[in-house]
Amino acid sequence: MKYDALVIGAGIGGMESSLKLGDMGYKVLLVEKEASVGGRMILLSKVFPTLDCASCISGPKMSSTINHPNITTVTYGEVKTIRRDGDGRFHATVRQKARYVDPAACTGCQECEQVCTVAVPDEFNSDLVARRAAHIPFPQAVPKKAVITREGTSSCTDTCPAGIKAHGYVSLIRSGKYEEAFQLVLDATPLVGSLGRACYAPCEAECTRGDLEAPLPIRRLKRFIAERHYATHDGPGVQPGEPNGKSVAIVGSGPAGLTAAWQLARKGYRVKILDSAPEPGGFLRQAIPVYRLPQEVVEQDIRNVTALGVEIVTDTRVDDLQALEREGYDAVLLATGTPKATSLGVPGEETTAVVSGLDFLRDVRFAEAPDLEGKRVVIVGGGNVAMDAARSARRLGAVDTLVAYRRGREEMPAHVAEIEDAAKEGVRFEFLVSPVTVVVDASGNVTGLRCTRMKLGEPDASGRRRPEPIPGSEFVIKCDLVIPAIGLVPDTGPFDSHVAVSRNRGIQVDPKTLQSEVPWLFAAGDVVSGASDITHAVGQGRRAAHMIDRWLNGGELDGFEALDDRLAAIDKAKVLSRQKSYTHRDPVKLDVSHVPAPRDFAEIEPVLTEAEAHFAAGGCLDCGVCSECGQCVATCPANAIDLSQHEQTFEVDVGAVVVSTGFKLFAADAKPEYGWGKYPNVITGMQMDRLLAPTRPFNTVLRPSDGKVPDRIAYISCTGSRDKTVGNPLCSKICCMYSVKQNQLIMGALPLADVTMHYIDVRAAGKRYDEFYEESKELGAAYIKGRVAKVTEKPDGNLILHYEDIENGGGLAEAEYDMVVLAVGVQPNREVERLFEGEPLGLDEFAYVAEPNDDLNPGQTSIPGVFVAGTASGAKDIVDSITHAGAAVAQVAAHLEKAAHTLRVLKEVAR
Amino acid sequence: MSERRIGVYICHCGGNISDYVDVAEVRDAVADEPGVVHAETTMFACSDGAQHDMIQKIQDEHLDGLVVASCSPKLHLFTFRGVSKRAGLNPYQYTQVNIREQDSWAHGGDPVGATRKAIGLVRAGIAKTGASVPLDPIGVDTTARALVVGGGIAGLRAAIGLADLGLGVALVEREAQLGGWVARFGPMFPHERSGHDLIEDLVAEVRKRSSITVFTRAELVGKSGSFGNYSAELRVTSPDGGEPETVRTEVGAIVIATGFDTYQPEAGEYGYGIEGVLTLAEFKALVDTTPGPLHYKDRPVRTIAYIYCVGNRQEGGNAYCSKYCCSAAVHESIQVSDHDVSARQYHLYRDIRTYGRYELMYEESRKRGSVYMKFPDDTPPSVERGKDGKLLVTTVDALTGGERVSLEADLVVLVTGMVPRQNSSLTDLLKLPLGSDGFYNEIHPKLRPVETVVDGVMIAGACQGPKTSSESVASGLAAVTQCGGMLMRGTAELDPLVATVNAEACTACGECEEACPYGAIHRVTNGEGEVMTIDATACKGCGGCAPYCPEDAIDLLGNTDEQIRGMIDNLLEAGVA
Repeated sequence: MKYDALVIGAGIGGMESSLKLGDMGYKVLLVEKEASVGGRMILLSKVFPTLDCASCISGPKMSSTINHPNITTVTYGEVKTIRRDGDGRFHATVRQKARYVDPAACTGCQECEQVCTVAVPDEFNSDLVARRAAHIPFPQAVPKKAVITREGTSSCTDTCPAGIKAHGYVSLIRSGKYEEAFQLVLDATPLVGSLGRACYAPCEAECTRGDLEAPLPIRRLKRFIAERHYATHDGPGVQPGEPNGKSVAIVGSGPAGLTAAWQLARKGYRVKILDSAPEPGGFLRQAIPVYRLPQEVVEQDIRNVTALGVEIVTDTRVDDLQALEREGYDAVLLATGTPKATSLGVPGEETTAVVSGLDFLRDVRFAEAPDLEGKRVVIVGGGNVAMDAARSARRLGAVDTLVAYRRGREEMPAHVAEIEDAAKEGVRFEFLVSPVTVVVDASGNVTGLRCTRMKLGEPDASGRRRPEPIPGSEFVIKCDLVIPAIGLVPDTGPFDSHVAVSRNRGIQVDPKTLQSEVPWLFAAGDVVSGASDITHAVGQGRRAAHMIDRWLNGGELDGFEALDDRLAAIDKAKVLSRQKSYTHRDPVKLDVSHVPAPRDFAEIEPVLTEAEAHFAAGGCLDCGVCSECGQCVATCPANAIDLSQHEQTFEVDVGAVVVSTGFKLFAADAKPEYGWGKYPNVITGMQMDRLLAPTRPFNTVLRPSDGKVPDRIAYISCTGSRDKTVGNPLCSKICCMYSVKQNQLIMGALPLADVTMHYIDVRAAGKRYDEFYEESKELGAAYIKGRVAKVTEKPDGNLILHYEDIENGGGLAEAEYDMVVLAVGVQPNREVERLFEGEPLGLDEFAYVAEPNDDLNPGQTSIPGVFVAGTASGAKDIVDSITHAGAAVAQVAAHLEKAAHTLRVLKEVAR
Repeated sequence: MSERRIGVYICHCGGNISDYVDVAEVRDAVADEPGVVHAETTMFACSDGAQHDMIQKIQDEHLDGLVVASCSPKLHLFTFRGVSKRAGLNPYQYTQVNIREQDSWAHGGDPVGATRKAIGLVRAGIAKTGASVPLDPIGVDTTARALVVGGGIAGLRAAIGLADLGLGVALVEREAQLGGWVARFGPMFPHERSGHDLIEDLVAEVRKRSSITVFTRAELVGKSGSFGNYSAELRVTSPDGGEPETVRTEVGAIVIATGFDTYQPEAGEYGYGIEGVLTLAEFKALVDTTPGPLHYKDRPVRTIAYIYCVGNRQEGGNAYCSKYCCSAAVHESIQVSDHDVSARQYHLYRDIRTYGRYELMYEESRKRGSVYMKFPDDTPPSVERGKDGKLLVTTVDALTGGERVSLEADLVVLVTGMVPRQNSSLTDLLKLPLGSDGFYNEIHPKLRPVETVVDGVMIAGACQGPKTSSESVASGLAAVTQCGGMLMRGTAELDPLVATVNAEACTACGECEEACPYGAIHRVTNGEGEVMTIDATACKGCGGCAPYCPEDAIDLLGNTDEQIRGMIDNLLEAGVA
């Protein structure tokens, strides 16, 4: 794309530059980094010395700018780099950040704001109040289009193998939207209740709050919403999709199969699940003990699936997949998990007193387990099945339950909480031991397990150190029952002839599409990956459903956004750096009292109360800002919200560049003696302007600590200006005048208030400025010459100013105020430094854009064809910025005309 | 019953209006007016979102008229004309009703009355739009040439800037030489370049450009035509004192850069008149022309007292601040110390206004030993003749607890500011408005600093208000930009809100021709008879002719008798008028 000029920054200087260039007939590309044009002026209350309402006079300029036929405006964009080409023109790369809202469709109705569950400080109100993640920047924004602040995927959501929007349901719970939270999880999987009990919650391990006190109890929050839902609803509250005439058979009813069935049924497929077990649910039923996951919870979850018309046929073993295809199923999904236990491979293993962990748990579940009263049990293995078996054995009365594991505790694959809970329930551990033989007495009863001690050698393929036997270290652990729980593998025997099997004995499929070499056959879950956990299986089930749907609709097997196309995870350090300090929040206590010798299978963990859930969710730091809760998507009447939008970059060729990147306000906390950021009633001039603006947050001037209407207000001029201690010897020019203006406005808004300005020189230098200053004195504003040394705070929030009173004898004095306003000055916006590639833009010693010839060519920079307009080259008030932009534009136009002339001459010569 | 389809919007202005006027009541009161098919209130009518909604409504409801009750048409007439245009509604069928400046702000103490007045004003606006007809703007071809009046630094830079846009330039300077004040100056802040050199460079640049015609010893004495096509009359005096020559030149726009005068103290004001008491301009000339350490009347100058704000910031005198003088005086004190490091310099000031980067000069001056003493506003220093030809300056120093200080100085510099240049003939000719300070007034002091209410006439440099040299240059270039926007495209659109003659009723009596201050009315033959005709491009729509017409044959488009009568009727009915 070709433009005559690129204008960077749409504050008053950039808008004026663009409008004037546009009026002259040049084509302008205007790039603004915020979501609205207008810069700072639109945020002001009124302007000096006319007291015109800032939005009344800059609003029309904003509107003219984006409606100008010669101006193309990119808001929420960024100029990444500019390179000067050999012909004197410029090549710029421009980035359009994703708004996650289709600007063409958005009507600016703000309904998304109403339902958004994430609040962040409102930068357009100087952080005085909060705004939503989905928001219109400010009421007079141009264009008035919503934008959703997304800084990345929150760590909890990012880490979930099931692609469940953990941050989303936490923020919904925080907003009291429990059913919406349930529905958000349900959108991923029907197993909300089961996950709420039995998920190992990798989200909690990644929770940024964990770097403060403790992670949020995200899993238990999910259980809370599941229980709320099931207590009050009969079904899932979701309708099946319009039947599409296609059917899918799913073999296996574990988490992967159920999730895939749920997703496909919602898309209108007729789905049948076949399972060899007497009850559906797979390991949710057969492996996870009921003290962790009660059966009725699994049943509730499964009813979600059957409510959509999915047929589940149990006690049916499928050996012939082709038969299913012949029956007319359009696709078949294999999700049979890992039903086979790995054997120990030691002598004596064949006795009846050696039962695999999986069989043992299945027996427990179906009340077929042996009575272990007074028995000694050894469990071999260090995984979750081992823990479940050990804790179940305790409940069956075993006097001694020992877990024998060949590596150390650190290497145990079981979830840490499981290990800890097992220990609390009296399970003992023997580490670095490996079974050699099962010791059987003459009558065939097991009496012990002969083991050898191990040591850890070099790391193996899994990265864990390989255990090696220590010769001569054998010993016998006395026991009555041995439960090997050393691994689970898929049972692919029946399918070997149809489809390739990988080395781990799983079905071989493309890991992204889950499609096997037989196109209609997909496989998901542990039968592909080997033993994993529920969330992985759920994620695979979702993926399989998505891909089957794609395949059956003739589409490319891609576009699985839930897991494959998320924003990059946000950096936790960045999240934590948003606030200087965090109020400590006591984590919600886990009210579980572990009995050393539990004797029943009652559920041990209580559900969170509503108050606990609300408090816990309130600790969320909103890492990625937008939580992806989806409320805006569901609410937007224009269907304008699209969370899958991506940022775009495009290249432009321009004849000239105008840098109008504006200024930064002095960060008032760099003057700690004035207490900003520490004393709530010390605010900046910009904050006061917001309190006075027509779109003011509180509709009057209130002090932040207690909402009191202030009676005595002090201004401290030159905060951060004319001050070498903060590295800025320059005068900021605008602060005296905006203080004088605010004095007048405050006296109008709060007729009883006294306003005092502590100043060095009142620099009312400009047309009608001094008259304006004198008027403020006549209205009653007091001016005290002398610097303020420091501000201290009283317990009631009032502030004591310690200052020099030069004109009244020159002594040190103190005065008490309700509120202190720091007249903060101007600092350079250093973002310009990175703009130019190759040839850096000249800056002055204070890092403003340098104007080497501002006596004759104001606005000219060190690079031919690059001009500066407004405060990017130094402090200016509005009219100065307007004039400066006008001056820059005259030279931009001269530059363009000269270039056009040269081109004409060259063409002539060529002819 | 009216067949019109009019939409009415009543603006809250974020509280500026709705804090005093019950906007919902106004809406309800006008919703059933004849012709009104839609009435609503809006938070900010001018916001982009509200504009979008209006456009949607105009199109969906097929509106043929729009009334927006908000602020002054000075602010938003063009905003809502633009809205109408984008919506496909004729922009001249929109009426702006001012219920802010002329209502809510004026009657803050009487919300009931303010609301009643708003209802009347809005109903009047509806009547005006109700009787409106579609009008088309008058297109004119513009002259690609500009006139710059004043050959000081602002005018010179503007002339070069205009030429660089491809526009022709007539540069008119009253004096024999180009350059104005700056040509006389030595080193100037911020770059220590000599004013003389800067002007030489600029004049050389002017000479290089054949599209610039320079008239020295020349004045603008006549102007006719209208925006885009002015005919300027110049009186050029010949160097040899012969008969002045009159030159006519056609231009599309005019840049006034006539500069300033310096304040001349009264005799006795701070001792002015005593030998050794100088104005800032006199002092600058002395410093610029003295090589080496400063001498005055052959005597070395070792001690200087500067008295600031002379002729400025004074009750009863010039109330304004000239803003450049602090920096200029501080700059001179550095110049002095450049040649004489031990010179003692005392600055008696009220506020040192070395704004922005000029603060660095203030700091440098103090570093070099200048002493700054603040005197109270109500106790200015006094200057008397002292012993041995010295000057005795007495002041109260607020910085040392109000101590009375007497200084013996070799020179006293009265830091004098700028005053508006007396130029009444030019002011009258162009009908330029003056501010309370006597400088030319811009349209809007914040957003339109170089434009005036006279179409196509810009003001640049210190004629608009005190400025530093660099600031004058910037405003000169800003005026160039403004001219470019008007003239570079070669065509412009004028408002069609002009007077028209009903030829059938006209008796060609000629009363109107005499009444027209713009020479826009002429007599033409029409078949057998004669009628008066009005040149739409010259007519300003002032309406001055209409009341003179004995036959009532003149009407003002956009403000027709029918429209005005309808407005009056509605105001009377509402009990407002």
